[in-house]
Amino acid sequence: MAFTINIPGIIRLVVVRTPDEVLAVNDASMVGRSLSGRGGLANRSVAAKLAVFRTPGGDIWPAFRDRLDPLRAAHQAALEATLSNVGPLLQRIAPEIAELGGYVRDGTAHRSTGVIVQQAVGRLFFADYAASEESYDAARTLQAWLSAGPLRTFWIRSWGALQVSLDRIMDLSRGDMACAHATAIAMDNIVRSIEAMRRLARQGDSLTKIGPQDALAQTLRAPARVVREARDGGCAGRVRLRARSLVLLAVESARQKRADPGFAFFASAWNRCPAHSVVPALLADVWRAAKADREGRA
Amino acid sequence: MSRQNDGFDFHDGLPQQFLDVVYRAVNFFAKWDRLSTLVGAVNLAVFRDRLRAHNLHHAGYGIGTSDDWSAGNARWRSPDGSFNSLGHPRMGMAGSRFGRNFPLPECVPDSGDDLLDPSPRVISRELLARRTFIPATTLNLLAAAWIQFETHNWFSHGLPKRGDEFKIPLHPDDDWPDRVDGCMQIRRTLKDETPRETWLGAAPTFRNNNSHWWDAGQIYGSSHSRQAEIRSHTDGKITIGPDGMLPEDPKHPGADLTGFNDNWWVGLSLLHNLFAREHNALCDALKARYPAWCDEELFQRARLINAALIAKIHTIEWTPGILAHPALKFSMRANWSGVPYRVMRFVLGKNSEAAYGIPGSPTDQHSAPYAMTEEFTSVYRLHPLIPDEMDVRRLDRGEQVRCELVNMQGVSTRVFMEDHGFTNLLYSFGTNHPGAIRLHNFPNFLRRFEKVDQPLLDVAAIDIMRDRERGVPRYNRFRELVGKRRVGTFEEITSIPGAAAKMREIYKSVDRVDLLVGLLAEDLPEGFGFSDTAFRIFILMASRRLKSDRFFTDDYRPEVYTQFGLDWIDNNGLKSVLLRHVPQLGPALEGVTNGFAPWNVL
Repeated sequence: MAFTINIPGIIRLVVVRTPDEVLAVNDASMVGRSLSGRGGLANRSVAAKLAVFRTPGGDIWPAFRDRLDPLRAAHQAALEATLSNVGPLLQRIAPEIAELGGYVRDGTAHRSTGVIVQQAVGRLFFADYAASEESYDAARTLQAWLSAGPLRTFWIRSWGALQVSLDRIMDLSRGDMACAHATAIAMDNIVRSIEAMRRLARQGDSLTKIGPQDALAQTLRAPARVVREARDGGCAGRVRLRARSLVLLAVESARQKRADPGFAFFASAWNRCPAHSVVPALLADVWRAAKADREGRA
Repeated sequence: MSRQNDGFDFHDGLPQQFLDVVYRAVNFFAKWDRLSTLVGAVNLAVFRDRLRAHNLHHAGYGIGTSDDWSAGNARWRSPDGSFNSLGHPRMGMAGSRFGRNFPLPECVPDSGDDLLDPSPRVISRELLARRTFIPATTLNLLAAAWIQFETHNWFSHGLPKRGDEFKIPLHPDDDWPDRVDGCMQIRRTLKDETPRETWLGAAPTFRNNNSHWWDAGQIYGSSHSRQAEIRSHTDGKITIGPDGMLPEDPKHPGADLTGFNDNWWVGLSLLHNLFAREHNALCDALKARYPAWCDEELFQRARLINAALIAKIHTIEWTPGILAHPALKFSMRANWSGVPYRVMRFVLGKNSEAAYGIPGSPTDQHSAPYAMTEEFTSVYRLHPLIPDEMDVRRLDRGEQVRCELVNMQGVSTRVFMEDHGFTNLLYSFGTNHPGAIRLHNFPNFLRRFEKVDQPLLDVAAIDIMRDRERGVPRYNRFRELVGKRRVGTFEEITSIPGAAAKMREIYKSVDRVDLLVGLLAEDLPEGFGFSDTAFRIFILMASRRLKSDRFFTDDYRPEVYTQFGLDWIDNNGLKSVLLRHVPQLGPALEGVTNGFAPWNVL
């Protein structure tokens, strides 16, 4: 059941939480990724937050482009083709997978999990991508920017942390917008999945008993929220949308109600995540690495 | 500034910001059309500034450089409109893209089945089809011909080609004869095949085959080759046949040889002939004053003067004719020649467009490079102006005969003109009414229209599909984006009996109402011939056509036009042009102050 808040001049918001509703709203013609900022102050604030995700030349990152944008479709197809070559890609990031496996098993690593994940994700794009504490800080700043309240938002922007973070991520991504999105924002889902794996590994002898696919099913995390705007009013499935509503698709919450792991990646929708094959394979390999080490030691 | 708008930015001064705040408060209590004339006129100027700041969006040029311009000829209009702006030579050039009045993410077509929902054919039959002719009694039929004459100056998307048609499922009881697999087919607008800029997003782009400028391109063409075809190459004149009329276009049977002759009919032929004669009269007058001028100089100068005269007629005669509101009449006069108050002129200064009119004021593109916009073409879908029948009257014998417009167009046009004569047809147009721009008044012959090289057309259904495929927002969002409040119910749109219920039955949600339907249904301000929502685009673009054009602003001066030319523009209007070339119309025009108002039936 969707949840609606409408305070004139302040906010017009719809939160969608069930899997069918999420898919219906995601597919609705009147719902788009572009945010006009109309509908209230909060709507304007969110639109302003997302508007910063552009290249220095002003191009919007592909993940924020609309359904009918030919560039989005082209980016998606090209990236999906690259990331579908799963075997060699996982081979390329085998050291990072081993490191993450060690963390899942022991709870310790030479560097923070975020840095390892960022480097693994970055190396899916560039074999020599090198993440650091600074680059991971930049990613965390951008993630915080998206979820922060007004004061923190003001702080992040006015002290220059936002621009520094964007510049650092874009530099490391060599201008590749998909890489920037993956290493700044999307990587957080993998970090949360790894943390969930670690928690699972600590439960008794899960690491021995649970296979990689089952571990994946239990620990895969989807984006907590995906933001859209209803340009016009209407019904999407059973969800009634008012014009200029900010629409929050609570993907992670919906995912927990559906067994299909593809749901986390919108695998059957127009906005299918290009990493829908490689990320599950990566996580399964991390579990395998943790398991193998454990069995090796035993 | 942004690269999206090619570096152009809108700058408003303190007085404008102050007025903006004041009028937001005023409009909270009263709509602009309920205010006194002067206060209402200032309200319109405030609207215009807001629209200039927020409703001009560049969609890229989509074109390279021009071959139709040669250095040293900057004092003339180039055939294709290039180099009107010397700093941005592609701006407004024939073949360049249409711009947008809304941010590009708002200009995205519906996806999937929603694009065809509800069926345009159902809308054509249930909401647009003419039941009985509703006349616009304050206008004559020349007003209908005039706006098509003008839109042929401003834009053309080109003739759609076969392939990848929209397939509109037909209701079993629909008598549409040209069914293909149970569907009506509508060809798509010609694609823009030029490379897309990455910042365009999902907004579709289309190119204008004509020059975007108000340069009388419908008479003079939008290319050097077309211009060469229509010229006599003697004394700057346009070729006229031995009968005093434009010759036939050998490539377009039934149409006159002129700059742009698509969708040809008698109304267009009358106006093209009239202003071709005006051009040649200007050439004679210029040659008498400047005997040393060559053919090229005479042609180009006469073109400048003729184009400006047409713009003036449109601004201060056609517009107040169809939008007969005192504030608007005042504003349009101010647009052309400034306010009639000396004190205000002194205070506002010499360069103020409000004080002295736009002609002669500094050129300004405001927030985007000049281009006609898709939204502008949408609000100028005024087909209900066309009647299905008219009385053709003879000026000499007082006889009249009822004729169908379907027999006055396409390949039949020239035969009809020859049978009835230029003078009689002008008189007939001056004494017939056009249709009112309302629901249930779309000419039925255009709803089953045969056109050479095209399938059978339902122009009403096509009008609906054109807005949808080009990503023009539907009516309610369109309202919001031009600064009006969204409506919540169908009854808030219209008080036409039964219309709200019919719209609800077809659309279900008020946000789905097509732009054209909303514009035709909307209740009108006092004296208005079309909707206030369409008028918002009009407020912006009517001034912009003048203010962006170097030849109406920086170069509207004697060195370019000659003093004789500027005086000619000042001293003439539609009535004087008519009387100069067809003096027999004198009695019919006796006492008529606006050439687009009904003339005397003798």
